Amino acid sequence: MGDAARALIRSPRTRPVLLFALALALYLAPFAVGTEYRLFIATQMAAYVLVAIGLNLLNGYGGQVSLGHGALVAIGAYTVALAMVDHQWSFWPAALLAMVAAAAVGAVMALPAFRLSTWYFALITLGFAEVVGGLLTEWRELTHGFAGVVGIPKPVVLGHTLTSFDLYWLALSLNILALVGMANLLRSRFGRALVAVRDNPVAATAAGVSLVRIKMMAFVTSAAMAGLAGALFAVQKTVVTPDDFTADFSIFFLLMVVLGGAGRLWGPVVGAVVFFLVPELLTALQSWRMLIYGVALLLLMLYAPHGLVGAIETGWKRLRTRLGLSNILPAPSLATARETVQPVAGAALSVRDVEKRFGGVAALAGVSLDVAAGATHAIVGPNGSGKTTLLNMISGFYPVDGGTILIDGRSVVGMAPHRIARGGVGRTFQTPRMLPQLSVLDNALLGAFPAERQGAAAAALCLPRARREQAASLGDALRYLDFVGLADRAMELAGELPHGQQRLAEIARALVGRPRLLLLDEPAAGLSLAELDRLGELIAAIGALGTTVVIVEHHLELVANICRSVTVLERGTVLASGTPAEVFSHEEVIAAYMGSHTSVGQAAS
Amino acid sequence: MSAGATLLQVSGLEVGYGHVGVLRGVDLAVSEGDIVALVGSNGAGKSTLLRAISGLLRPSAGRVVFVGSDIAGQPPHRIIDLGLLHVAEGRRLFRRQNVHANLELGLYGARLDRAVERQRYDFVYELFPMLAERPQALAGVLSGGQQQMLAIAQALMRQPRLLMLDEPSLGLAPIVVDQVMEVLQRLRAAGTTILLVEQMVERALDIADHAYVLQNGAVIGSGTPEAIRGGDLIRRAYLGAVSDRGA
Amino acid sequence: MDLDLLVGALTAGSLYALVAMGFNILYRPTNVFNFAQGDLVMLGAMFGATFITLLGLPWFVGAALAMLAVAALALVEEKIAVAPVLNRSASSHGWVITTLAVSMILANLVGLGWGPDPIAVRPPAPLSTDTFELLGANVSSYQIAVMVITVALVLGVEAFYGTRSGKAVLAVAEDRDAALLRGINPNRLSSWSFFLGGGVAALTGVLAAPVLYASTGLGPSLLLKGFAAAAVGGIGNNRGALLAGYIIGIVEAVAAALLSPGYQLAATFAVMLVILLIRPHGLFGRAEARAV
Repeated sequence: MGDAARALIRSPRTRPVLLFALALALYLAPFAVGTEYRLFIATQMAAYVLVAIGLNLLNGYGGQVSLGHGALVAIGAYTVALAMVDHQWSFWPAALLAMVAAAAVGAVMALPAFRLSTWYFALITLGFAEVVGGLLTEWRELTHGFAGVVGIPKPVVLGHTLTSFDLYWLALSLNILALVGMANLLRSRFGRALVAVRDNPVAATAAGVSLVRIKMMAFVTSAAMAGLAGALFAVQKTVVTPDDFTADFSIFFLLMVVLGGAGRLWGPVVGAVVFFLVPELLTALQSWRMLIYGVALLLLMLYAPHGLVGAIETGWKRLRTRLGLSNILPAPSLATARETVQPVAGAALSVRDVEKRFGGVAALAGVSLDVAAGATHAIVGPNGSGKTTLLNMISGFYPVDGGTILIDGRSVVGMAPHRIARGGVGRTFQTPRMLPQLSVLDNALLGAFPAERQGAAAAALCLPRARREQAASLGDALRYLDFVGLADRAMELAGELPHGQQRLAEIARALVGRPRLLLLDEPAAGLSLAELDRLGELIAAIGALGTTVVIVEHHLELVANICRSVTVLERGTVLASGTPAEVFSHEEVIAAYMGSHTSVGQAAS
Repeated sequence: MSAGATLLQVSGLEVGYGHVGVLRGVDLAVSEGDIVALVGSNGAGKSTLLRAISGLLRPSAGRVVFVGSDIAGQPPHRIIDLGLLHVAEGRRLFRRQNVHANLELGLYGARLDRAVERQRYDFVYELFPMLAERPQALAGVLSGGQQQMLAIAQALMRQPRLLMLDEPSLGLAPIVVDQVMEVLQRLRAAGTTILLVEQMVERALDIADHAYVLQNGAVIGSGTPEAIRGGDLIRRAYLGAVSDRGA
Repeated sequence: MDLDLLVGALTAGSLYALVAMGFNILYRPTNVFNFAQGDLVMLGAMFGATFITLLGLPWFVGAALAMLAVAALALVEEKIAVAPVLNRSASSHGWVITTLAVSMILANLVGLGWGPDPIAVRPPAPLSTDTFELLGANVSSYQIAVMVITVALVLGVEAFYGTRSGKAVLAVAEDRDAALLRGINPNRLSSWSFFLGGGVAALTGVLAAPVLYASTGLGPSLLLKGFAAAAVGGIGNNRGALLAGYIIGIVEAVAAALLSPGYQLAATFAVMLVILLIRPHGLFGRAEARAV
């Protein structure tokens, strides 16, 4: 391959230049090849792309299957139509109203659906689409029934009525804005949180993300975009009827997203273009259209779940590998003022008489322990003694059946786990819960979610305040990755890291949230001897920062080296408590682990 | 004293899933009529070994020969047909169904006469009278000890030649653990061979004829219970040198 | 409430309950909700109409053939659209889209094969859709038959889950690994469940044909109403589905009488959402335990 071509592929400036050229070409295209028909098709396609971009956010990145976006477009279209025809509104406020209406109606439907499981959501949105379709026909007083709304005027700007050229440019500009805003949003904490909600909701919750709120954000955004597309739809067609918005209409958008590539930024664009062009070329097969779409959808999900863009990306990566280029992006540099990780004011933990029952079995039967602020404390005990259950209750993942848990004097009983996390409690899990498709750095950045305050709008618009927060979080994430020793692997995919390093990455993610109380669940499991040593040093360093650390562990040697105090659990009660030396030379503790006959110190249950 | 034929032979077994509990070249033999104990600390790979033998996991290398057949990589139901049953850790029962239903499911796929099935129920209810008292109770509301008995009983419905148990003492009171161990000894007397994985080393060694010690996915030693007790292996596998460190 | 309407509502509700039961049968071992279920019912109706009306076969023969055909199709669906996606990743929801795709394919194949005109199907003699007076209401013998058959089917399916195979299906739904260790083969049970669920769907279609007309528009509305019945009753609970079916039938009838027939679906959905808000797992459903 030529040197020039290689240089082009390698240069980081190629991409923006290409995109700019593409945009320019699209703006100028009508002058070269613009017929009325082509402009009409292109504008309609642009409206569809707008919907698809929003749906991609919800479905591709958020993992929620919505079959109701056609109905949201309908709401947008009808809002604009009725406002402009029946109430003589100007297009611009009408379009805004359309976005609000679609978002509001959608939210009413989505909120109950989000409390239920994913596929309930799909069916509820499908039902919503059917219901809206029915209401458009039935509610004649409002919607003009079968005949629909006719005579929608073209938008007017400063006395100038928009021509089809202008409409096309308007649609194109909206698309570009949407893509840029989407790219910004996906790069921000919301993008990460959304992917976390899709791929590992437990990890998201532990990082302080409210699952319902993030899903709502994604939904409302996509609904607003659908409403806006509906507005474009209405003024372009000048007539809207219920027939325009059948249930199949919604499925088209899903098909576009899946075809183009769910979870890929350019997926909806590619998908919409292909979706539009193919029928143009296959007019002979018109009656077979839906059948072909069905088969295409099935084959895509089975063999190319990441769609066309996904396939292209895979091919591109292979090409780069063959050219000897690395697929790992260079890590951003540490250019901010703070050079070291900051100390933390650790929280005190107080657990009193905590109980937990599962069916007929008492997992915890009255456990009490105290951890001083800034101390490193271990909870040990044989399998089945209730260690992880206790950790899950402190972090809010299991409800408490009895007793109290106080963190810095405040009770956390009954608090949702993501709120406990936001209150300064970080945790890791027995099996590291990573987002395998994101880089290690992005995984660590997820931990910064609660610390950042920027709203979704600020993120999408890339406002200065948002940019500053993002830079600060980036600095924190890089520093903590360095702290745990993963700085040189920051840009690799988390799913490709070996087990021991995934564990370190998870610890880094928890640390980025600057927790005052850090809960580690069997961090030493599966580690090699060298990794164990490093882990011990790392935990000691975390403690030196001031964080209170509570570890559930089996590796008694590790515990003895780094912990100030230890609680031994056995069958849901505290067997012994004190310094490691005291506890491990205790006869009963040794007996509990090894099970000798002389261990019967407590009453049989 | 183990004088029976070799029922189960594991050679050079390697299993990797994720990176936890990897097994690296495990060799193990179980003679007919014995209770063989497999001990080691958490994460040593004991559960992984049982899961590889019973077919839940596919080994990446090595052989598992049971009664002359190579069962490595076979699906679980075929291994069960050969007479190898696995009682998983954590008392994996069907908690939403009652005691009798759980026992009945133990007979799934067995294709026996009703008379023979009746005998199996009788055998199990006689061995575990507390189950006979409440056959309609949902498995989920039983106590830990009762659940463990039911889990063993469920496996016994197939009259296994080799019964593998994964940490039956988990979370049970010492008296109940005694009962479980007593049941295992009765089974041995009745001709069932047993492979017992335990964290409670002392209890397991008390009833075993032979023992293996597992650490970090490899066997670090094996022998008679006396030999294992006398040596250094257990301390090393569990506590490291903690008790020597002092204050 | 007008008794005639009530009878009509209970008949329609019985059919919705049957659709819901088809869902539940498929859902049990796979945790998959079949988006193509409405189309399977419709196919049953169309096959039944073809065999009984167009080919003149006796009712029972036509019904049995229709059940066999659709059951086979459901089996194919499981093999190509469900099992591959489930095998990819246990928590994947790709099956939502693949079963949706199957729904699109089936609906359009039927449209292409049979055309848009509905086919009239007459009930088997001696039943008929002629009404007579009973306890102050106008009922037809066919309506009574549908209600009785529905209850019988629900009880029959419940009885199935009391057999060893049925218990095995419940076991797979609860703990797949534990089921494997007891010699249960989850894949085979999934296949058989789809076969059975397809058969129930076909029977539903054949039963519905004289009342709702065998036409290609049947699929989507049955999908949604069947889902509503299953969700309100508690997914997996067939008796709950029966009761929920009746509730939905009544809600529809009331909505049609008070507002207009076009508002039926809106009313049904509104009621369903309200019930789910109060009891997210349905009237008789049970919360799933969460593992961390």
